[in-house]
Amino acid sequence: MSLRRLLLRLPRYLGVSGSPRRLWWSPFLDTISSVGSWRGQSSRSPAHWNQVVSEAEKIVGYPTSFMSLRCLLSDELSNIAMQVRKLVGTQHPLLTTARGLVHESRHNLQLRGLVVLLISKAAGPSSMNASCQNYDMVSGIYSCQRSLAEITELIHTALLVHRGIVNLSELQSSDGPLKDMQFGNKIAILSGDFLLANACNGLALLQNTKVVELLASALMDLVQGVYHENSTSAKENHITEDIGISTWKEQTFLSHGALLAKSCQAAMELAKHDADVQDMAFQYGKHMAMSHKINSDLQPFIKEKTSDSITFNLNSAPVVLHQEFLGRDLWIKQIREAQEKGRLDYAKLRETIKAGKGVTSAIDLCRYHGNKALEALESFPPSEARSALENIVFAVTRFS
Amino acid sequence: MASCRWPWRRCCSWRPAARSPGPGSPGRMGPPGPPAAADGGVQMSYFNLVKSLTSAFSNRYSMSRFHHTTSAACCCSKTRSGEKYIDPFKLGWRDLKDLYEDIRKELVISTTELKEMSEYYFDGKGKAFRPIIVVLMARACNIHHNNSRDVQADQRSIALIAEMIHTASLVHDDVIDDASSRRGKHTVNKIWGEKKAVLAGDLILSAASIALARIGNTTVISILTQVIEDLVRGEFLQLGSKENENERFAHYLEKTFKKTASLIANSCKAVSVLGCPDPAVHEIAYQYGKNVGIAFQLIDDVLDFTSCSDRMGKPTSADLKLGLATGPVLFACQQFPEMNAMIMRRFSLPGDVDRAQQYVLQSDGVQQTTYLAQRYCHEAVREISKLRPSPERDALIQLSEIVLTRDK
Repeated sequence: MSLRRLLLRLPRYLGVSGSPRRLWWSPFLDTISSVGSWRGQSSRSPAHWNQVVSEAEKIVGYPTSFMSLRCLLSDELSNIAMQVRKLVGTQHPLLTTARGLVHESRHNLQLRGLVVLLISKAAGPSSMNASCQNYDMVSGIYSCQRSLAEITELIHTALLVHRGIVNLSELQSSDGPLKDMQFGNKIAILSGDFLLANACNGLALLQNTKVVELLASALMDLVQGVYHENSTSAKENHITEDIGISTWKEQTFLSHGALLAKSCQAAMELAKHDADVQDMAFQYGKHMAMSHKINSDLQPFIKEKTSDSITFNLNSAPVVLHQEFLGRDLWIKQIREAQEKGRLDYAKLRETIKAGKGVTSAIDLCRYHGNKALEALESFPPSEARSALENIVFAVTRFS
Repeated sequence: MASCRWPWRRCCSWRPAARSPGPGSPGRMGPPGPPAAADGGVQMSYFNLVKSLTSAFSNRYSMSRFHHTTSAACCCSKTRSGEKYIDPFKLGWRDLKDLYEDIRKELVISTTELKEMSEYYFDGKGKAFRPIIVVLMARACNIHHNNSRDVQADQRSIALIAEMIHTASLVHDDVIDDASSRRGKHTVNKIWGEKKAVLAGDLILSAASIALARIGNTTVISILTQVIEDLVRGEFLQLGSKENENERFAHYLEKTFKKTASLIANSCKAVSVLGCPDPAVHEIAYQYGKNVGIAFQLIDDVLDFTSCSDRMGKPTSADLKLGLATGPVLFACQQFPEMNAMIMRRFSLPGDVDRAQQYVLQSDGVQQTTYLAQRYCHEAVREISKLRPSPERDALIQLSEIVLTRDK
């Protein structure tokens, strides 16, 4: 079965309701090579996130929205898809992850690969490009850099899948039969490992040990970041660990920034750019990822119409900042006041937080990182790829 | 230990059949498949071939599995340089005494709990079988190449990396199998939960990859990343099953190669690449590792039936309980076809595990599997004997025998 048909069938396969984000690319799949460079419209700043991304994808020459799915769904291991399908009807998180990968929402976007491709194009060939003359270049991007973008997505998706493992001892009867959860865990571990193995093989093929080291250390950072997410999440009494904003930044760098930062740097290394260019790419990746995360954290607090049932992460940027302004004791008091018979009234807590300084200072922090990202971009020559990268920053720092 | 068997072994010699099945089959990258019909297109089922070889020596094999034949003396006039018995573990340990400490240094982790979890199995209590093979192979190759008895720092790193990759896969396997004990203590998943256990495995793998990258050799990186892929594919193979009897055995051997032998084979190859430029030596190292690896797993599968849980540090009949049909079971099924149904349903009905155990112990499944392991070991010895004589080369020969005679 061709990849395209499989992907078109996948939503129904996984029990996803509603239409997937947009399969605008499906008619283009056959003629993708003709969607080469695209001029003239990158100077306008686009209003909508999706538009930013679709313009960017045209610049790099093909859509980036199914990179890691491609290997999960390859015919050889089509039994992964079969196994995941067995989970339909259970409550294992893997199903949610799989659905999210297919039915991409704004914040599940496979952004990393796209950014790596854009920054590769923006940097162009290096001045000392003697060793790269053997690489082929399509749409201004070396094939090894495209490979790297794919590897980045593989690593990200692998950990996304591994985040969805369930602790068996914490299961309750409402979670369903134990053996469903055990089976789900098994498939989640194997799928994640399979993605990581593919990433490792891809890295080996790049024949560049520095790039392997960079991405391996990014993986290590990411694992530690995910570990922190687990450990500092709110316990039964909804009280999180007392971490200040600087610790939050360190942990968020690990869980969200490191992979993109090091991957951008690696893309420069592949094209043999010097240390300064590599550092600028790193900085862009890092700050862009940080501002993207903060933007994501802010969504529950800035949307006009929010349903009462919307929850938010108590370790998100606005909440951590709010806590820091208020002091620990007062914050704990506010949480207690928002609890009724042990259940947290998120709507009430949200209003309390909005009344404080957490939200505005999170917006400032987001813009701070956005500006740092733009600064890093200044050292790259102007081009439509660079504009696309700027537009991405504008889109994540826009709050009106 | 093998020393008490020495005089017995020198009395019996045995030449392998002209066309050896399974072990030594060509195809360095792939697993040893069932014997291809080399002449006249005669398709002989794998089982029949093994059985015919077994029946020729049935007198010998009615004895307990601890007796075995000597290595075939075909390539070198002397397979041993000196008659002294060398303990491979002692010989290898000189390089490895700081192995676990050095592995812990690679696990640069700031959080206490995560560090504790990652270091949990690097406590010095494992067999360290793989690192020993790696350093002995490194020396043997170095000596073969230019008489240098030193182990290069990079080669030693491979020993660490092999042990780390192995441990990372164990941590994940324990979650997949919902295992509660290993090496005499509780598993990581039972103490800290499944979520964190999976992350610990990922962490160890990433540390191994960083160490691998730092060696700075792209060939070595390619060789060892192949292992990572094989380990995952081996687990997937274990998820699936085959209907046809012959396919089952081939499937079992392929899984065995990917899950166990690939790591040993490729680590041996990696150190030989670092120590010696001759591709023939790389192939010897790889073949030795592959054959010893498969033998190791076959004996492991036998021990699952014959040993009791104190010795092993983990409960036995574990494979049956997981629904896995290993060597002894597959052989037993030849004699007791009623086992087929149990195999297909993966021993899921109550009483299946016990009945299967009974069938295996009544049949010659254990002996057949042991015999097969011996064949693989002989092949390993045949390969390694092509290297220049040295204490390390002899220790590797010794090691293949220890693989056969270990009881835990």
